[in-house]
Amino acid sequence: MTSAELSRFLFSPMTLVLYLASAILYLRAMAAPKLDAVDGKHDGSGAASLRWATGLAILGVVAHLAHVVVRIEASGRLPLGNMFEFSSIIALTTVLGGLLVIQWKMRRPELMGFVMLGAELTLVLSLLLYSDPAPLQPILDTWWRAIHVTTIVISFGIFSLGAIFNALHLLRDTAESRVAAQAGSSFGPNTVGAAQAPPTDEDADADQTLDSVPSRVEADVVDIDEADQDAAYRAALREVLTQRVAGVRAPWTILGGVALVTLVFSLIWWDPMVSVQMVGTMAALTLVAWWAVPYLPSATTLDSLTYRTIAFSFPLWTFAVITGAMWAEQSWGRFWGWDPKETSSFVTWVAYAGYLHARATRGVKGRRASWLGLVAYGVLLFTYYAVNLLIVGLHSYGGIDQTVG
Amino acid sequence: MGPPHARTSGTGCLPTLRGVSKLESSPPPQMNPPVRREPRPPSVSGLLVAAVKENWRRLRTMRTALWLLGVLALESIVATVVPQEINVPQTVADWRSGEAGPGEAVATVLDAIGAFDVYASPLFLMTLLLLFTSLTACLLPRIKAWWRITRHSVPPLTRHIGDQEHVEQITTDLAPDAAHATARGFLADRGWRTRDGDLGDRGTQVAGEKGVVLREGGSLLFHLSFYVLLVAIVFGQLLTFEGFVGVTEGESFTDTEIGYWIADPGRWFGPEDHSGFQLTNDEFRVEWFRDPQFGGTPRTFEADVTIETAEGDVREATVKGNSPVVVDGFKIHLLGWGYAPRVVVREGRDVVFDGFLATTVNDNGAFRGAVKAPAAEPDVGLDVFLIPYAPEGDDGQPVITGAPWADAPLLVFRSYTGDLQLSAAQNVNTLNTELLTEGPRGGLRLGQVVELPDSDVTVEFAELRRWTNFQVSSRPQVPWLLLGSALLLLGLLPALYAYRRRLWVGVERSADGRTLVTVAGRAFQRPQAFEEEFAELADDLRAALDAPDLTPAARDEVAPR
Repeated sequence: MTSAELSRFLFSPMTLVLYLASAILYLRAMAAPKLDAVDGKHDGSGAASLRWATGLAILGVVAHLAHVVVRIEASGRLPLGNMFEFSSIIALTTVLGGLLVIQWKMRRPELMGFVMLGAELTLVLSLLLYSDPAPLQPILDTWWRAIHVTTIVISFGIFSLGAIFNALHLLRDTAESRVAAQAGSSFGPNTVGAAQAPPTDEDADADQTLDSVPSRVEADVVDIDEADQDAAYRAALREVLTQRVAGVRAPWTILGGVALVTLVFSLIWWDPMVSVQMVGTMAALTLVAWWAVPYLPSATTLDSLTYRTIAFSFPLWTFAVITGAMWAEQSWGRFWGWDPKETSSFVTWVAYAGYLHARATRGVKGRRASWLGLVAYGVLLFTYYAVNLLIVGLHSYGGIDQTVG
Repeated sequence: MGPPHARTSGTGCLPTLRGVSKLESSPPPQMNPPVRREPRPPSVSGLLVAAVKENWRRLRTMRTALWLLGVLALESIVATVVPQEINVPQTVADWRSGEAGPGEAVATVLDAIGAFDVYASPLFLMTLLLLFTSLTACLLPRIKAWWRITRHSVPPLTRHIGDQEHVEQITTDLAPDAAHATARGFLADRGWRTRDGDLGDRGTQVAGEKGVVLREGGSLLFHLSFYVLLVAIVFGQLLTFEGFVGVTEGESFTDTEIGYWIADPGRWFGPEDHSGFQLTNDEFRVEWFRDPQFGGTPRTFEADVTIETAEGDVREATVKGNSPVVVDGFKIHLLGWGYAPRVVVREGRDVVFDGFLATTVNDNGAFRGAVKAPAAEPDVGLDVFLIPYAPEGDDGQPVITGAPWADAPLLVFRSYTGDLQLSAAQNVNTLNTELLTEGPRGGLRLGQVVELPDSDVTVEFAELRRWTNFQVSSRPQVPWLLLGSALLLLGLLPALYAYRRRLWVGVERSADGRTLVTVAGRAFQRPQAFEEEFAELADDLRAALDAPDLTPAARDEVAPR
């Protein structure tokens, strides 16, 4: 087995399978009954699933790291030279960030299923751009690359975590507010309904900025004697998301929408098989998210997590853009030339700055800020995928069109 | 007095400073009974002032700022998708002519709104101007408020110490006065702004606040750094110089107003600002990975140059991709290269052309150039392709490859005769074939000469060198941009991570004669971080109040008191 083959084997199937298995087990642990959840820990089958999921995730990280090491051996350089390698490290950052911060520091293992799914999706997409380990163009061979690209990639990985929480927040928030609107008083404020209670008297308490969690009651931690009411609330959370819209139940709307989008995708873009797979995956993820809504942390918690993740990543991105300009001055002889990649990384910065400002302002309410955050991530994805693959610029290091001389 | 901006803050851009010192500083409602006045009829000037004030207020809102940021982002996205004249002028020309892109009609519209040069378009400059005006309008009151807080702000006492988010109680044997002094010293040592108060029968209280100056100060620094960047960019545009020149190996160029192929001086950069150094391209080296898998990826890429300054100092240097050479404040970058075949064209015995062609590589790996010989009668033009690696195949014919190394160079050409139209501007590497008729084609190896059929014109491939594309630039703004970026990051970190929090320490005598100390706290941002900090502070304060000077035995003596 050559090192190229070994590196490939460690990546696919090894890492991919381990991450996927771990994601499934995390989801199972999330959905397991949480009768003994007062101290934030889960009991019984959930705990066992969680242990296995964590173990598999760690094994996956080991396989992933081994793959990276083999690549370093084979190419004699940091594995940050083309799009496949970027994606791989982005996903690694997402997984490590999830394990270290979300699971161990913040004790939110119920979010890990989606973290692993997000990483898996990034990796599967990167497989489409797979390239064997190769040496580097001399222009990239500088320590500027180590600084600039590493920061960009790490920041991307953390923004991805933020985007996962952001999407889950919007979903959960929709469910919570619909239940609150429908049920009125039937879910009292002493239980899980606390999450929908408006943050304590905003006007009187004008000092409270939005990134603090207003309620001390953790909505997803439930006492035994409230379990029945809890179960009803959970059922309602899922039910409101499948309300009939124009006479059609939501899952069918989703499937119909997916079919339509797939058709459009395959007509205008790319290989139809790829579009079918991509859109199919998105649909599957949507269904998983719908199924998971009752088990997610409260919308307030998710919102705060999203903010903290993005606020952590934003200075990193800022630093990366600045070092990029410094490198450009050194390498291309100008610090900023509005090259497509420079432009779109600037747009990404502006979009996330917009999100942070929106969050800091009372005039723009939580959900709107959340949508802004999702838009910002969309711009980030555009910067990465579309600008690398579709638009020709100086940053054309995607490594896809490596013609053999 | 309360801050004057408190009324408009609901829609304003002041996220963190609202209601500072609200608790104790606003006067009771009855203290200043409102004075009734007859409404004055509005005057024209009054209306005008009101309108200006209203618009100024609206400009200050975060909503406006967000919209402007959105427009800025949108314009930039347009600049990503639509080719930009400053980056790819050829593509823009193709879009305009309809050869590429969405067609001529769309291109006309794009041109009309300035989409081919977004960053110089009035729309973009207008957005930028509005954004900076909005920022200024937003920052001025914030700076004022911040300055006031820095100098005068003290935290309020609280009557509801037990109702705060975090509360902890400590019983100590220190006398209340001593406990109060300890708590005060404890907070002051840790950088809290403090205030003391006497709540009468409810004992005394120390209030502390921290983080407000740092957080808001960071945010202000972050936003102010944009002015540094803006000034640096604007003055940079005026003072900068950028020139491009191709130099064949063995030849040289001099830094003067006319020494460049393309020169782009800023408005304030005059001919006298050139330093007049001379650069000789001694040797350009490029080497590739030659195994079939990664073939064509260059491995090294550098030019040995000799530089003679106007004062006569001579030095040798190597210019590489990532390491420019600096001469008299001018940075010399290596941007690109090409093969420079020397082609000699003779008509009869007269040499009508003899020179190095600065060929550029095309997608197939061939290097294209053009010979323009107006001295011939009629004009002779050659469309030249240099194929660096065209080894001879089994049949004796050259095999064309895309490999870039010049191990078996082959020069092929199409000949033209007629009118070259050299009076009009044209690309140095292409012919304007409008008034030319195509003649015979030919191919020759290094050192060979061929004669064009039916004429007395011969073409010789005399020599093969390389030429290097240098960029020479002077950018006095770069240190200022670095300063601006550093300030930006320096401000961003506390703006996001510093957090404002308050702590209260209430001291009263408990029923059993000991001293009861209540510690309460509340964070305005980052509640999770404060939770840990509060626990630590409470522990440390407990340790401090435990009179650590006393030995356990001594404490026992004190206790019965």
